[in-house]
Amino acid sequence: MTHEPSGSPVEDSGGREWSTVSGIPLKISYGPDDVPEGTRAAAAAPPGSVPYLRGAHSLGYRSKPWRIFQLSGFGNPEDEAERIRYLLSKGGTGFIMEHDRMTADNLYDVDHPEVVSRREDVGISGAVIMSAHDCELALEGIDQGRYYAHAGGGVAQHAPFAMAAYWNVALRRGLRLDQLNGTGQADFFLTYIGCPPLHQIPPAAALKINCDIVEFCNQHLPRWTPISMAGYNAADSGLNAYQELAAVFACNIAHLDEVKRRGTVPVEKLAYALGGVSFRMAMDFFEDICKLRAARRMWHDILHDRYGITDERALRLRIHIVTAGSAMTYQEPINNIVRGTVMGLSAVLGGVQSMGISAYDEALSVPSEQAHQQSIRAQQILMHETNLMAVADPLGGSFYVEALTAELEERAYAFLAEIEEAGGFIAAMESGFMHGVASENQVTLETMISDGTRQIVGVNIHTSDHDPFHIDGFQGSIDAWEKGMQRLERHRAARDRDRATAAIDSLERVCRTGGNVMAGVMSAVGDDVTVGEVGEVFRETYGSWKFPVSF
Amino acid sequence: MVAARVLMAKTSLDGHWRGINVVSRALRDGGFEVILAGMVTADTIARIAADEDVDLIGLHVGGRVEVVERILDTLAANGITTPVIAGGTIPHYAVARLEKRNVSCFPPGSALDDIVARARELTAQDVVNEEE
Repeated sequence: MTHEPSGSPVEDSGGREWSTVSGIPLKISYGPDDVPEGTRAAAAAPPGSVPYLRGAHSLGYRSKPWRIFQLSGFGNPEDEAERIRYLLSKGGTGFIMEHDRMTADNLYDVDHPEVVSRREDVGISGAVIMSAHDCELALEGIDQGRYYAHAGGGVAQHAPFAMAAYWNVALRRGLRLDQLNGTGQADFFLTYIGCPPLHQIPPAAALKINCDIVEFCNQHLPRWTPISMAGYNAADSGLNAYQELAAVFACNIAHLDEVKRRGTVPVEKLAYALGGVSFRMAMDFFEDICKLRAARRMWHDILHDRYGITDERALRLRIHIVTAGSAMTYQEPINNIVRGTVMGLSAVLGGVQSMGISAYDEALSVPSEQAHQQSIRAQQILMHETNLMAVADPLGGSFYVEALTAELEERAYAFLAEIEEAGGFIAAMESGFMHGVASENQVTLETMISDGTRQIVGVNIHTSDHDPFHIDGFQGSIDAWEKGMQRLERHRAARDRDRATAAIDSLERVCRTGGNVMAGVMSAVGDDVTVGEVGEVFRETYGSWKFPVSF
Repeated sequence: MVAARVLMAKTSLDGHWRGINVVSRALRDGGFEVILAGMVTADTIARIAADEDVDLIGLHVGGRVEVVERILDTLAANGITTPVIAGGTIPHYAVARLEKRNVSCFPPGSALDDIVARARELTAQDVVNEEE
């Protein structure tokens, strides 16, 4: 039997051309000739050996199951603490703190006029955390010395505050910073592409601050992943699978180049610091599995070929995945349990260190307790009932999987070249190049749903007016703004005012003179400066970035 | 014939633009003139609706129904009777509350064709009323 070379789709009898959701043509079956010469050696190398195509560790999940790492947060800090404790009691093996989007993304306190005018929205997705004290309330009963944590700060400009609050709470509890285990995020896709706030500092300033975070963690928090680029947010904003890969690595390259230029962190340590990333798993099962395999090899090759890094610890990409929120339907939401499981399964097969499965009520609200528990249970079923953890990279060597992995990688490098031709990551962000690509893809994906090319059960096929499993979403806490106002007032009255004022001045000096902003914010938050006050300093010193798309 | 004008705005401070972008493009392709207002307050929506004499207001809901209701109250207080459609993450109880106030709701999974068709109905009705 002969096989057509890659790129020649074979039509079925109905004349339909099959492809992945990213538009990679698919054949009816794959054979040995479809696996490119250049990928055969990598595909033959066992998991845990360079270039890590087949997995970061030789023992796969036998040495360590993936971390059950669910995003959580809503309402008041006490609500957040309660939910985190709940998730940990159900088997979460780490926790991700979600701060209220209105106040956090914009760096506003709750008394900012833009917040007051929409006050009921406060706390709808994330807890209101304006000070180290608020953060302490959100961590009530949670042992920071024990759990791996994501302290919040997915949004680049918010990251210094979120981590400073978390770290200051740990210090107040008598822990040392070097005992803390966890991760930052500060990714460039959440608000620079996906969902911009009203005000945010320009991308170049965020890059500067991120590099400050890398330096700060290198000095003080050796067990903390300082930043973590979230391809998830690039993908859910519209970038396809290979564009997501390219965008994440282009962003990491920008950070590598900047810190290398500063010469402040040894390049191996720097590579390790940047080597924890996240990707989105969506419903194109094999494409996303192959994306994770391609990602590991790309990161290895980029570090090795461009930066001459040979330290094996630094060359291993560590992957967190989140299943696509956008894949979860509003119609018949109970079916989202299946979608979450399928996406989670693809992550297990692709090889991950950490996972969050979006909740079945995702299209309605932040997760209810029941939905949140179900996300954890789905992971535990995959972990304990299926024997999936026994064998690493079980799909390695599949003609289809190796061919698709190679194809994604080739296309990712081509898109990386486009970004570099557009002036590099920051320039491609500032010019709106990336947004243009995302926007076109958004429309294409929606058109594919309208014309039936993409079928979604309950949405454009097998629809029904009656859902026997009624789910109305989670309503959260309606008093988050009022209680936030009360806490803010008490906080301002109780703190040492002179000290806080001096801390704000000092932070402003740090920002103006190019000092380490992470260190500046750490110290300011320790002196009870609020998130809104940090925001005022940032807006004053860095200005606001004009988002390159009107909406 | 002059194209009907639609004001598109976001009710919350959540800047997800994917939904509003796709719907705005569909409305433009459907012959509407679309004015993009972004994340603006109730007062600003009312001011633009009046200044630009729009035929339809499209709200992208990313937060609570109370915030949407404040916008409706503000429009009413300013004597603006322009029809309103809303899309986004709107749970069932909120759909029920908004529909009581004549807001057509398009939660996730709604077909673009249905949104455009409803926009046409609402703006055509407007034209008829003006002629009477």
